[in-house]
Amino acid sequence: MSQPADRPYDALRIIDLTRELSAYATRLFADLGAEVIRVEPISGRADRGEAALPGLGGDVSYAFLNANKKSIALDLESEAGRAVLVDLIASAGAVVIDGEEAALLPLVLSVPGARVVTLISHFGLDGPYAGYLGSDLVTQSLGGITWMSGDPGSPPLRIAGGQAGFVASLYAATATALALYDIEVNGGGAHLIDVSAQECIAHSLQNALQVWDLEGRIPMRGGEGTRDATEQIFACQDGHVFLASPLSMPLSWKALVDWMAEEGHPGGQRLAELDWSDRRKRATRALRDEFRALFESFAANKSKAEMRNQALRRRIIMAPVSGIADLAADPQLVFRRYFHDLPHPAAGRALRFPGAPYRLSEPVWRVDRPAPLVGEQSEELLGRGALHSIAG
Amino acid sequence: MKADFLRGIRFADLTWAGAGPFSTKIFADFGAEVIKVESATRVDPVRLGGPFRDGIPGVNRSGYFASRNTGKRSVALNLKAAEGRAVVRDLIRTADVVSNNFGPGAMERLGLGYEEVRRIRPDVIYLSMPMYGEDGPLSNLLGVGMTISAVTGLMSLTGYHDGPPLGPGTHFPDHAANPYHAAFAVLAALRYRRRTGRGMKIDLAQVESTINCVGPAVLDQAITGQEPQRVGNRSARHAPHNVFRCKGEDRWCAVTVLTDAQWLALARTIGAEALAADPQLATAAGRVARADELEAAVTRWTRLHEAEAVMSALQAAGVPAGVVADPRSLIEQDPQLRHRGYWQRLDHPELKVATYTSPPFRLDGERVELTRPPLIGEHTDAVLAGILGYDAARIAALRASGTIEA
Repeated sequence: MSQPADRPYDALRIIDLTRELSAYATRLFADLGAEVIRVEPISGRADRGEAALPGLGGDVSYAFLNANKKSIALDLESEAGRAVLVDLIASAGAVVIDGEEAALLPLVLSVPGARVVTLISHFGLDGPYAGYLGSDLVTQSLGGITWMSGDPGSPPLRIAGGQAGFVASLYAATATALALYDIEVNGGGAHLIDVSAQECIAHSLQNALQVWDLEGRIPMRGGEGTRDATEQIFACQDGHVFLASPLSMPLSWKALVDWMAEEGHPGGQRLAELDWSDRRKRATRALRDEFRALFESFAANKSKAEMRNQALRRRIIMAPVSGIADLAADPQLVFRRYFHDLPHPAAGRALRFPGAPYRLSEPVWRVDRPAPLVGEQSEELLGRGALHSIAG
Repeated sequence: MKADFLRGIRFADLTWAGAGPFSTKIFADFGAEVIKVESATRVDPVRLGGPFRDGIPGVNRSGYFASRNTGKRSVALNLKAAEGRAVVRDLIRTADVVSNNFGPGAMERLGLGYEEVRRIRPDVIYLSMPMYGEDGPLSNLLGVGMTISAVTGLMSLTGYHDGPPLGPGTHFPDHAANPYHAAFAVLAALRYRRRTGRGMKIDLAQVESTINCVGPAVLDQAITGQEPQRVGNRSARHAPHNVFRCKGEDRWCAVTVLTDAQWLALARTIGAEALAADPQLATAAGRVARADELEAAVTRWTRLHEAEAVMSALQAAGVPAGVVADPRSLIEQDPQLRHRGYWQRLDHPELKVATYTSPPFRLDGERVELTRPPLIGEHTDAVLAGILGYDAARIAALRASGTIEA
């Protein structure tokens, strides 16, 4: 039987001075047992945004990224407040910082002890862009991923949902864990990790950098000339599906053509003709457009759910394009009991949370505490007596 | 610096294609011994997919493969043969981590399911990365990275504010969300094993991992009951906030005004004094309401200037701005990445000197130095003799029977 105390990051305290670029990094630790303490001003840190619900303490990003964490409110303008921060850092195995809190770096590094200090910024601590202002769109653009999406006749397009922050957080969390490993296993000294979100994005460009480096080609958004005619989003009766059946996936392609033939659709005959076995031709505008017309006429009377069932049965690489609202009814996610409701007493309701990014055979991942209100754990962490002098 | 933090940790790494090998690469870069078990007859598709050095295909010439497999050792075995699987079991006996990203049931069919592996290595950390999970009604649905974008809502959220869903132009979930969730989980499992002596199985359903990266939208939809709107390059709360056409062909610069002060700085830089003085535009809400008009005003200025000049003028004025870099400009022109030593040049027998990205952070002020990726089967003999203690005659017999493929 596993003891509740046995979780991967038990006995690790992390001081959290994060914002949108790295808040997810510390949440990953918190979900596996670390005590993650947001240290924020009495009025709350600006990353909370505007409360999405009365009592929530922040917007939906805040609520998601800061679950399982604690909050202590300190006046860091005062000497007493800074002294508490120093004590907290002295008790911690890691400190994670981004945004304006980077100004605290000298103070953080002045506290003795072998710990990991991870600083996440848009462009890194030094270099000609070190003083540049970033944002999700700016950083996705300078990192090279905005270039990769969108329609050829329209501007390049960023990926939705604040992905600069998620990508930077995932690298930051991994790097922090690696440096902790060195301290804990090898007796290594203190480590400073300087994470650049621009570099993180540039590390996530599929094979586009190698395409330039080795073959001197620049991939174009929209996939014309590079992506197979089948690799597109297509309209069906009640929405869209994503299909991929290039010649490199011959079984899926054959199953698709057979299906169309079985239903007496003209695509069954046309797609069996010779020009469809030419890999290069299939990526041209002409064949992409022709395939779209054929497939969309075939799909017009079929629902997303039907298409998915056929994809399963016929082993075609095809899936519905789900909206966020569709996810809660996804049969697989329902079967795996993926979503769960996290009670939020201050907001007077429960919040629907995505489940673990990984299922572990040991019962060590949990989200059991909503994102904290400002200073919610000040008293718990400092003791009643200390509060007055610090909170002023 | 050569980072050897993970010295003494060994992987029996059966991952292939994109997301799996990217998960284990960081361990090799940090000094773990990552032994890639692969096949020369059923070749890793990423070895067969380009780009290739000089455009000439070859299993050791793929830049895509190279970028996912730095620092690993390669053993080429026929896993369809019982002897091949026996070699893998011998390797697993010595391994801390066993990793794969096959579909559900594939490892079991090889006799390498978690329970079987646990019998020969009781404290193993076992990483699986099937798309939709190992069990359930859709577990056998086939997919690629873009399929994961489709079923998680990421594809639906990504598109222009006035257009249909487009999705990321890459197999995005394969390149960050899933590999680095996986790497983080393995590191957590290693700490857990140190503390408890127990291993664990990590079942990373790539769909479930990726949904966390749209977590805020999930909460938003649950609270409001409304499907989140596509905003494209725009923002619901700020304007102007988009990419703007600059001088030249298909050149663009992102400009994002996030505060009132940034708005005034932008308006003055583009010479739009009348807009700067317009009281309706003094608030973010007023600017969002007139986003079309403001974007047109910004474009009138940006299209006269090079993207780099737009960026530096606006950054000098305190406005977040950045060119839309393409792969060529990143490698050849970006002064920041160059300054920080982001690009590494590694030599390789067939890829020759090629460009690699560093792990995207500096550690104690230094770069983690990479080691070149392996040729297929390059380390077969060294691993079988050096780690498994097979003698020359046994290795020769395995080679003669086709169990060793390279």
